[in-house]
Amino acid sequence: MRALAVCFALAGWLLISGSAAGHSDSSPAPCPAVCRCDGDGGADCSGRGLRTVPSGLSAFTYYLDISMNNITELPAQAFKNLPYLEELRLAGNDLSFIHPDALSGLYQLKVLMLQNNQLKTVPSEALKGRISLQSLRLDANHITSVPEESFEGLVQLRHLWLDDNSLTEVPVKPLSNLPSLQALTLALNRIAYIPDLAFSNLSSLVVLHLHNNKIKQIGVHSFDGLHNLETLDLNYNTLTDFPEAIRSLPNLKELGFHSNSISMIPDAAFVQNPFLRTMDLSYNEIEELPSLQGCMSLEEIALQHNQIREIEAETFRGLASLRLLEMSFNELETVPTAGLNNLNQLKLAGNLQCKDLLDANHLLKLRILSVPYAYQCCAFGGCDTFSSPNPEDMGNESGPSDDEDVSDLNKVGSVQLSVHCSPAPGAFKPCEHLLGSWM
Amino acid sequence: MTVVCSNGCESCSEINGCLKCLPKLFILLERNDIRQKGICLASCPVGYFDLRQPDMNKCIKCKIDNCEACFSKTFCTKCKEGLYLYKGKCYSSCPEGSTALNGTAECNS
Repeated sequence: MRALAVCFALAGWLLISGSAAGHSDSSPAPCPAVCRCDGDGGADCSGRGLRTVPSGLSAFTYYLDISMNNITELPAQAFKNLPYLEELRLAGNDLSFIHPDALSGLYQLKVLMLQNNQLKTVPSEALKGRISLQSLRLDANHITSVPEESFEGLVQLRHLWLDDNSLTEVPVKPLSNLPSLQALTLALNRIAYIPDLAFSNLSSLVVLHLHNNKIKQIGVHSFDGLHNLETLDLNYNTLTDFPEAIRSLPNLKELGFHSNSISMIPDAAFVQNPFLRTMDLSYNEIEELPSLQGCMSLEEIALQHNQIREIEAETFRGLASLRLLEMSFNELETVPTAGLNNLNQLKLAGNLQCKDLLDANHLLKLRILSVPYAYQCCAFGGCDTFSSPNPEDMGNESGPSDDEDVSDLNKVGSVQLSVHCSPAPGAFKPCEHLLGSWM
Repeated sequence: MTVVCSNGCESCSEINGCLKCLPKLFILLERNDIRQKGICLASCPVGYFDLRQPDMNKCIKCKIDNCEACFSKTFCTKCKEGLYLYKGKCYSSCPEGSTALNGTAECNS
């Protein structure tokens, strides 16, 4: 008798799962007319003018794209028949309301795209319990507030986009719920200052974008807790003081402060950032440079469009990894080249007071050079009237310093001939420094 | 002859497709043998990241070694088959001090 009961149960299960999936073995999984389904659980119903979530999708749908439609709200249980959904794309609709139970049942959801909608706040209730969520896009909405309990339970969230909204402050409490977050953008908002301990729980964060805000002030302890941060982008803000908060970023590799109003970089500004590789401080109001000694990993420095008049002789000494030094459009008269042995690119255009010939002794690996005046290119080959220097003439008074290889000095003549120097001397830009800066 | 612009496009030309997308959308430059054609998307395809800027939103190719999908110029979110993702970079095995998360291609320290 029991065996008969088992048979009936098994047959029933087959029927249900068959109908739920809408197919027996031979017929394809169900796919609404307005969608294109790939037969593997992927359904693309984007750009069809839909006003609601299409019904009749296969229960085994794992990827659903309903972006670029006209859906204005998500009702409760909007996806109740899709328990295996992993990626849900709702970008480019007119969503202004998401019911707290709209996403219930979606325990496998990993990627949720809500960018480019009309949301004024983070749908925190609807997000609760999405324990598998790894990527959440809320960019390009009209979010002005982030409820305190937002993101609670999103222990797997790694990537969060909140850029291009109307936030006026860093959502400190909501962000403290995200132990696995590795990449965050709050760019293109109206954030005016960053309080102390703003990101203190984000110990896994690697990338933080804050560009295009109105940040004027950063607390000394604003970045405490960001032990793993490698990229910090504060470009296009209104900072006037150099943010000393970067001292608490031991793993920082990329630092962007360009297009602010910073006038001074403090001494030993980067000593706590031993892995710093690229630094962009261009388009500020910097007048002086501190010593950069100790920045052993520094490869690129961008300081163009500042007001730097003088650089101490020792500033670049020891920067063994430095490849690119971009200092165009400052007010330099001379440039110390000690320590620039491995430099590959040097850019000095627009420093109109800088009329002397550059000391080519140290610039042995230079490949690209831009200078204010054509005659300055002649020291780097590529000119008819230029005779390649005789190593004895180099008269290296100080002798090869500890980090210079003697054999390099002998290669001076041949190496420099392969430098691409601009503005290139020519008929109208002779090598002789004739009438000052008339050309 | 007026050109009808594609979905999400604000201004276009016959030769180069979309030149400017509607606000919030991203322009992707697709190579069409020697020509480039602009199209407008709500989000960039795999292999590109979405760069939002005040004046224009663009799709920028991921340039990280062995990366299939990325969050930004320097941060990968998905590595090519058989490689491990750790702090936005791709490795043939989990770097020292980290281990693979159970059954995933991601390392955790």
